[in-house]
Amino acid sequence: MELIQCQWCQAQNPPGSTSCQTCGAPLDQKNKVSDSGWREAPRLRDMTEFRFSGSTCQVEGELVPVAELNLHPQDGVYFEHHVLLWKDETVPLSSLNTGGGLKRSLGGMPHIVTVANGPGRIAFSRNAPGEMVVLPLHPGMEMDVREHAFLVASHSVQYSFIRIKGLVNLLHGGNGMYIDRFVTAGYPGMLMLHGNGDVLERTLRPGEKILVEPGGFLYKDSTVQMQAVQMPLKTGMLRHGMYLAEMTGPGRVGIQSMYVHHHAD
Amino acid sequence: MNTYICRYCRQPSDPGAPTCPLCGAPVDIRSSVSDSGWVAQPPIRDMARLQFGQSHVQIEGTTVPTAEFTLAPEDWIYFSHHVLLWTEPHTRLANMPMKGAWNRRMAGMPLVMVEGRGPGHLALSDSHAGEVVALPMQHSQQIWVREHRFLCATGNIKYDWHPTDVWYETGQDSDDREMHYPMGQFGDTFGAHGAPGLLLLHAPGNVFIRDLQPGQTLLIQPSSLLYRDVSVRMALHLEYPRSMGFAFWRSSWSYRSIWVRLWGPGRVAVQSVYQPPEDTEVIVNHSYATTHHW
Repeated sequence: MELIQCQWCQAQNPPGSTSCQTCGAPLDQKNKVSDSGWREAPRLRDMTEFRFSGSTCQVEGELVPVAELNLHPQDGVYFEHHVLLWKDETVPLSSLNTGGGLKRSLGGMPHIVTVANGPGRIAFSRNAPGEMVVLPLHPGMEMDVREHAFLVASHSVQYSFIRIKGLVNLLHGGNGMYIDRFVTAGYPGMLMLHGNGDVLERTLRPGEKILVEPGGFLYKDSTVQMQAVQMPLKTGMLRHGMYLAEMTGPGRVGIQSMYVHHHAD
Repeated sequence: MNTYICRYCRQPSDPGAPTCPLCGAPVDIRSSVSDSGWVAQPPIRDMARLQFGQSHVQIEGTTVPTAEFTLAPEDWIYFSHHVLLWTEPHTRLANMPMKGAWNRRMAGMPLVMVEGRGPGHLALSDSHAGEVVALPMQHSQQIWVREHRFLCATGNIKYDWHPTDVWYETGQDSDDREMHYPMGQFGDTFGAHGAPGLLLLHAPGNVFIRDLQPGQTLLIQPSSLLYRDVSVRMALHLEYPRSMGFAFWRSSWSYRSIWVRLWGPGRVAVQSVYQPPEDTEVIVNHSYATTHHW
């Protein structure tokens, strides 16, 4: 019997599996790829379950999905405190200072994330219609994520943030000054995002460019370069030109179809 | 090829295709019709392609669908800049100047449209959960669309706007007079010229369509109207429920319903997400309206 490879995270699954044990993606559905190469992130079926480390995650609901985690005693996860939906009383919470507090506060981002440790159950959701994007991270990976899009990450994933250089990003980029960076060192990890609306992913070749509405940017491999570029367009009588985020490969880029646009406000 | 008329876009279509190649409506499903005659507009299937000119558009996603265009060199579309999700660097974008800028500015409508010209790809998305509605249009066909529902149109579809003439004014004193436009100050009118074209709208929620017979009338929430044939007339309708003895309430407060009355013949479409008119003080002046006191 042949193992089934997940088309989303590439993990191998036992024969007969209908969803990936590592990321929850349906295994019995074809990839949905547009003519220009954007692939839809897999919609996780209601009550789909997958594993990370010694813990499990069950995804509940499809309009505003909830991630319910059953944490192993040796496992922990971290998250922004306002995405916590419910938890067992016995699950301890602690804080993780990310550093750069003042700068991050000025950038509208939390400078403290909350840590929950097993054993016990805990559930998370963000308050918008959309979909959950599960990104299992192999050792040595780096992912950049737009602010307030990260839902929860396993404790083996290191959390930091990077500054998008250039004042133009602060004023027009829509990503604020900072984006979150998630890095795995020697161990694999699990990162879950919430994308507003529908989520699409495209893999850029080295040097390949794509222009994205900054509010639509969701995540990228850290190998993808991102900079704000001004388009030769006016958006109103007294408005400046329109700005888009130029993404240059190699690497993956994820976008969301629901956003607040920030072209030139 | 046997042709049949798509029950949703009313254009000759291909019964052998899984979806209508002009509007994307599924061909292989039963029509869902309510007892009163509303036909549920089925959402365009994920990854369905719609043909126009030498180009096509692919609808991706189901919660907040994205319209991804593959533009041939001779084709172009226009749209408001804030719906652009992504574009390839070589797809040509340029401003499309619009007349009546001041009026549109005052009404909160986009001043400048953007043209996207082939060859190349670009994608558009409105930032609300709902449906993309495709309206293929034949030469000289016209349709009225409520403001802010327009997503994009092909280059041969001309675009104009006119006052809705549906308004009312509240406030007893001259200092607190306030104008209200329950379905917007302006409505958009689109017409195809020279060749068939494609108009895409975005509707929050679900969409339902209905054909009104000549003289048939219908009362709807003003902001739920998505589009209508230009043969359908509309006006304000004010309905005052019986006050059950609370006369002061009836005379001085907002104990009333504000509707838009539609007159057939023609097709109308409503969306299930709408913004009810706010409760305000007594109406002191209004556009032409029919009135009913219970």
